[in-house]
Amino acid sequence: MGALNAHLVPAVDGVAYGLLLYVAAAGLTLLFGIGGVLNIAHGTLFALGGYLAATVSDGSWSSALLGLAVAVVGGTLGGAVLAVGTAPLVERGELPQALLTFGLALVGGDILSTVYGGDEHPVVVPHAVNGTVHFFGHVYPTYRLMFIVIAAVLAVAGTLVLGRTRVGALLRATADDRAMVGAMGYAPWRVHAALCAAAGALAGLAGGLGAPIIGPGPDTADKVLMLSMVVIVLGGPGSVLGAFVAAVAVGEIETLGVSISSDWAPYLLFGMMAAALIVRALRGGLGGVGIAMPGKARA
Amino acid sequence: MFSSSPASRRPRRLRAIMAIGAVTALAAAGCSSDKSSKSSGSGAAKGDSQITIGLITALSGSNKALGPDHLNGFKLYLETHGNKLGGHDVKLDVGDEADGGAAAVPVANKMLKEDKVLAIAGIVATPTINAVVPLATAAGVPVVNTGGRPTVKDVSHLWTMSFMSTDPGGAMGPYMAQNVGGPVYVFGPDYQGGYDQIRGFTDSFAKAGGKLANDGGKPAFTPFPTTTDFTPFLAKVKATGAKAIYCFYTGSSAIAFVKNWAQSDAKDVPLYAAGFITEGGTLKAEGPAAAGIITSMNYSPDIPSAANRTFVSAWMQKYNGEQPPATAMYSWDAASVLDQAIAKAGPNPTSASVNEAIKALGQIDSPRGPWQLSADTHVPIQKWYLRKTQLDGTALANVKIGDLATIGS
Repeated sequence: MGALNAHLVPAVDGVAYGLLLYVAAAGLTLLFGIGGVLNIAHGTLFALGGYLAATVSDGSWSSALLGLAVAVVGGTLGGAVLAVGTAPLVERGELPQALLTFGLALVGGDILSTVYGGDEHPVVVPHAVNGTVHFFGHVYPTYRLMFIVIAAVLAVAGTLVLGRTRVGALLRATADDRAMVGAMGYAPWRVHAALCAAAGALAGLAGGLGAPIIGPGPDTADKVLMLSMVVIVLGGPGSVLGAFVAAVAVGEIETLGVSISSDWAPYLLFGMMAAALIVRALRGGLGGVGIAMPGKARA
Repeated sequence: MFSSSPASRRPRRLRAIMAIGAVTALAAAGCSSDKSSKSSGSGAAKGDSQITIGLITALSGSNKALGPDHLNGFKLYLETHGNKLGGHDVKLDVGDEADGGAAAVPVANKMLKEDKVLAIAGIVATPTINAVVPLATAAGVPVVNTGGRPTVKDVSHLWTMSFMSTDPGGAMGPYMAQNVGGPVYVFGPDYQGGYDQIRGFTDSFAKAGGKLANDGGKPAFTPFPTTTDFTPFLAKVKATGAKAIYCFYTGSSAIAFVKNWAQSDAKDVPLYAAGFITEGGTLKAEGPAAAGIITSMNYSPDIPSAANRTFVSAWMQKYNGEQPPATAMYSWDAASVLDQAIAKAGPNPTSASVNEAIKALGQIDSPRGPWQLSADTHVPIQKWYLRKTQLDGTALANVKIGDLATIGS
């Protein structure tokens, strides 16, 4: 009971942190798994959303909602730039597109650091959720508890949209057979543009929601991109459920795992990633290794 | 058939680009030779005593947040001293070290070979020191360093204005051993600078009879830079019965650590730290969560000396009433050290005579209080201060609440 009690906060925190990773990785996995674009600028879009939300935040609920709105708009516009940039390269395969997004990430990162400077920006969350709550004799940040609820709603909504709606069916069809979707009367470039914009919007939203936890600053983009990549590799590209499970697992490893064996903290995450890749390679042949097979969506 | 057209277009485009490049290069060469002949000509003819000082700092890359403070501290000194160092007009030659290390080598080479700088100031990242100092030493040019200071074999031309990385903890250790009244839980990031900083604390703390609260009596090192959530690390503190926490973090790690601490079970365990945790923009991003943190630093803007009042009022006047960060003060001191050394080096200062003059400076009157350069390490022997983060007017500030030891070797 004592041991359980000692690890309660890290265990709860693992859910919150995992869901943050899930929300952060959603846009990346959508665009990579379905659109075949490995978006290196994903972290930059996340940072943009965070900066925008931080700029308007003043501790009121209306400013928080406005912050999320501008973060989504900013992310969507960023996604549109991505769509325009990658459109001519779609037929050339994944590498040229990934290289282009790498370039956009460098340019975008420099613009962000020129506009917002080199410091991290303070984010003022609404007063009602800025404090802490007490449970089972422990203290925990209120915002993170609220974040668990919001992220869970987003996860369910994402699964429903992709699995149960017409738009979702179209996206899954695009992942399976782009030419057939084109033959059905949906212009491929429109689907591509919509995907980029949606992925950008998700990244911006994640940046706005996550800003109080991973603050918008000069190294936010790299951190978020790396963690999102880990989630995608573990969960399998384009898999909403896989990303969810992987994100929560990574979250728990980074919190509960650290709490149980802090000596191993530096090795836990990538050790588990390596183990998961080896197991998957042994079980399913090389094709099962996440990064090797984009363009396949499993809702 | 059609595929041949872009192929045949490519060489033509390439040729055009080469032509443009050649013209630009010629124009640039023309301009620069024009300029240099003019300046050297006027210098020789009028006996004009202008000197060129190189300033290497991070204007882009991962240390972009730090660079401007280094640059602005130096510039502010020049602006308040008639743009003169040691009585000579100064041409400031600013170079960008970017991500540090090898990236700074061409910048330093240009300063040393083309611009013939009298001395180099600045340098933010420790890898840049390792890359630039050997070049400057070979050229006989002194480097007056304002940022981090790694271990360097040949310090004959390196003069550090900041501190040794073991110093902030070394000053805090004995104080906490005597005043906290119980074991202390220690955190740091797992890179070399973090190990050095924490070693400075644990060594001096143990010597003064202090005990660590950590499991196994060893400091907790958190993965850097991957740790963005310190909550699971902080969850262990309360159960160990620690009377205080000591840590070293900077930048985004510092912000995350302080925010997580303020909303954790450990929030009623007082937080002590090396001063960088609440410097400048870091403190602003932490906001109210940082209130009450006690830090060890070789500077506080409220030190009541004439030299400090001059510096602080000039800085606040220029930067909208904001208090100067310690890095800007190191840079101000770099200019001040050069000013005094160049004045002592006579009417025709050379890099060699300036380097000798720095060595012989003795006590330096600085905003941080009087200090002097160690004859061995060329790092300041200086007093450290105990500061508390509290409201000063409407904003949080680092207020000096006491003196710590004078250290340096």
